[in-house]
Amino acid sequence: MHIDPLGEVFGRSTGRIGLLLLCLMVGLALFAPLLTPYSPSQRTDASAFSPPSHDHPLGTNDARQDIWTRLIYGARTSLSVAVGVALLSGLISATIGSTSAIFGGIYDRFWMRVVDAMLAIPAVIIVILVATYLQPNLMLMIVLISAMSWPGGARVIRAQTLSLKERMHVSAARTFGAGWRHILCRHILPDLGPVLLAIMIQDARAAVFMEAGLSFLGIADPSMISWGKMMQYARVFTYLDVWKWWLLPTGIALSITLVGLSLIGYSLETALDPRLKDNGRGA
Amino acid sequence: MSMDDLIRGSGGWIDYTIARALEWPGKAFSILCKGEILANYVIAILIILSLNFLLPRMLPGDPLQAIYGNEALVAMTPQLEADLIHRFSLDLSIDQQFIAYLSALARGDLGYSYYYGESVSQVILAFLPWTILLAGSAMMISTVIGLLLGMESGYRRGQPLDKLLLVGVIFLSGLPDFFIGILLLIVFAVSWRVLPLSGALTPYGDLHGVALALDLLRHLAAPLAALVMVRMTSTYLLTRNSMIATLGERYIMTARAKGCSERRIQYMHAGRNSLLPVVTSVGLHLPNIVTGALFVEIVFAYPGVGWLLYNSILTRDYPLIQGILLMVTLSVLTVNMAVDLAYRRLDPRVGNAH
Repeated sequence: MHIDPLGEVFGRSTGRIGLLLLCLMVGLALFAPLLTPYSPSQRTDASAFSPPSHDHPLGTNDARQDIWTRLIYGARTSLSVAVGVALLSGLISATIGSTSAIFGGIYDRFWMRVVDAMLAIPAVIIVILVATYLQPNLMLMIVLISAMSWPGGARVIRAQTLSLKERMHVSAARTFGAGWRHILCRHILPDLGPVLLAIMIQDARAAVFMEAGLSFLGIADPSMISWGKMMQYARVFTYLDVWKWWLLPTGIALSITLVGLSLIGYSLETALDPRLKDNGRGA
Repeated sequence: MSMDDLIRGSGGWIDYTIARALEWPGKAFSILCKGEILANYVIAILIILSLNFLLPRMLPGDPLQAIYGNEALVAMTPQLEADLIHRFSLDLSIDQQFIAYLSALARGDLGYSYYYGESVSQVILAFLPWTILLAGSAMMISTVIGLLLGMESGYRRGQPLDKLLLVGVIFLSGLPDFFIGILLLIVFAVSWRVLPLSGALTPYGDLHGVALALDLLRHLAAPLAALVMVRMTSTYLLTRNSMIATLGERYIMTARAKGCSERRIQYMHAGRNSLLPVVTSVGLHLPNIVTGALFVEIVFAYPGVGWLLYNSILTRDYPLIQGILLMVTLSVLTVNMAVDLAYRRLDPRVGNAH
């Protein structure tokens, strides 16, 4: 039963490529100040829309800012939102999912009703609605996205906990008089790890996308440096050649992050469902 | 891949689990089920209505400003302000306000758009058909393509074709739909100039009959392609998973043992029986398609509700933004509920329990 999530991810070529792509973006984000002499909002001496050159690897935008600098600082925004949402939303999913499965009864029915109702709502639309009023900054955006993204995970965690609850070692612990808190923390949560990780990867991917989407719509905090907003601005200038070093690299950076998370997520999910392993046809 | 997908799962294992989980309770509690489904949707609608009602009123500052935005207030006279306060019942207590809000909604009154100088519902109705066209055709085409590819891929698990498709789809599913739209726009409209840059019809084209239909298709092609490319990925992954699970069932072995042709096993035995979770997920994926359409419309300036939403955000036309989001949510919920209810009828195992 015990799945070693990292071993599974490293053991597959999809997982390895995914990790590589993600590490690339994390590296860019972490070392951003070392990789560029400019600050992201600084107006440089170059003229607006200047093409790529030695000083400006990706040229400059309409406000004479260095596009490469904005790109790598944008990675910081995207990845912070990803990590924040993965942690917060994963925490809510795990808490509500596992306690619902353990307590059962009215508590369980209440939360599953909430989960079902929220799964029916198009989350993006609610996030857009709230964001138009609040113009969320980084923290608020993490809270907002997490508030809409936990139900799917909670349902999966609950199902997993229900099956774990029936395992022998849990029954054994119960015969020895263990309380629910002990059973939850010592016997169930450790086994939920791989599932929780898969859910968090999905949450992270959702968050990166959502942040880019909200900025693309122009309803995030205007002071945030974000890929979505860069694409929104760059989109207007497709009639010039600037899309080649402004729009395209930004879109590619966003895609690399999303594809990296997709690949990791997929290899994890395959590890979780033994039926999906690539061991030939049939069972 | 669009945002909602990610929230709800990519068509991968988590999505598959959710689809299965939604499928099972129907079997045990089919009588309870219809009531429970309705209850879910009623709760969902209440959540949305309360958000719509509370957001502008809870914000610090003047609720009138939150409802109409700063720009509209510049032209505000005391007379007009008094009118509006009365109209939104802002002089009443909060529960009376909520009742007034609900009764206005029940009359179909979504407010008045200053920018367009028309009632919000009329503005939306003018833009809605294009979104229905785009999202509807994208949903059908992507479901069919996803199903076919998923069945082929799942049946040939581990073989080169499957690996190629799988890697391709996972890669594609990572791309945001508005970026794919932008790429198509750059390639086909900006560089090659074979497709129009924007819009849904050639302005002042004065076309009729076949020419009109062709013009419409030419404008629809790129946004539709962008949407289908991203959308089919979740159906594909789900079908593939479901197909693989079905192929492990005993009756497949029986079919092989009695000498069924492989084609028959692939489509009749495995294919048909892997449809169930996929059908359930069509409802789950509807919001993704709609929100995807909103973003793709923005890229192509396709005159649907998404384009309208984008413009109303730019002009800070709050009544219009609220109206659009409310309408989109309600229509998604309605279709989802219909799919949910119809699904319980379609699945004979649920029907038998009655």
